[in-house]
Amino acid sequence: MSTLDIGGSQLDTSWFLLLGAVLFTLGAAGVLIRRNPLVILISIELMLNAVNLTLITFSRQLQNIEGQLFALMAMTVAAAEAVVGLAILVDIFRVRDVEDIDDLSEMKG
Amino acid sequence: MAVAGGIGVITFREPIRCVLSLVVVMIALSILFLLLSAQFVFVVQIIVYAGAVMVLFLFVIALLGPAREAAKGRLRFQGWLSALFVLVLLGLIWTMLQGVQYRQPEQTDLSIFGTVQSIGIGLFTTYLYPFELTSLLLLVAAIGAIYLSRRSSDDR
Repeated sequence: MSTLDIGGSQLDTSWFLLLGAVLFTLGAAGVLIRRNPLVILISIELMLNAVNLTLITFSRQLQNIEGQLFALMAMTVAAAEAVVGLAILVDIFRVRDVEDIDDLSEMKG
Repeated sequence: MAVAGGIGVITFREPIRCVLSLVVVMIALSILFLLLSAQFVFVVQIIVYAGAVMVLFLFVIALLGPAREAAKGRLRFQGWLSALFVLVLLGLIWTMLQGVQYRQPEQTDLSIFGTVQSIGIGLFTTYLYPFELTSLLLLVAAIGAIYLSRRSSDDR
């Protein structure tokens, strides 16, 4: 395990990674458990944020700027994904009221 | 801060509180970014995420009205199954974290690490091509959102 020197005090790198893992898992739990499509989108945002935290932690640990650049790219992709997802959601909600994501499973193979 | 983030995520009941707790998580994460000497990403996180994206979510919730969630799902064992899956996932990531071996850091000047200067140098020299692709992606997303919202207003 390795430590980071932050503002004069030593902090273990794995704490950041552990926090990222916990947040990612919470987001995955949100996607699996919640039934509101809006909340599922929010949980996806949470997972993306957790991954960003991990990227930036490794970027700081290796002192390599590329992790931060990749985190910025991930933020852009997340913003685009949120916009398109919300637009689709509003479109669906206009046609009919959906309180449950399973109401949309009408494509039967 | 980590505790605040975790609690903020877990306390979701209705969508609007969910969004607001996500804002709390994002602000806590941005402070962590600042600790990890990523100043530019910190600013972007505050402005883009906690500002723009969350306001977008709030607008959509205000547009759709407060839709309360049905307490009962259709699948009876979904909660237990997903809890089991999530625990397995957490354990998997935890064991992966145990085995992480750190490379020796490249010696860079920490005083300019993560500033706008170093980010800009990386973004406009080495990663110019992905950067331009990102702009194309944003354009496509904007066009798609406008198209999706216009088509349905034409229909009715």
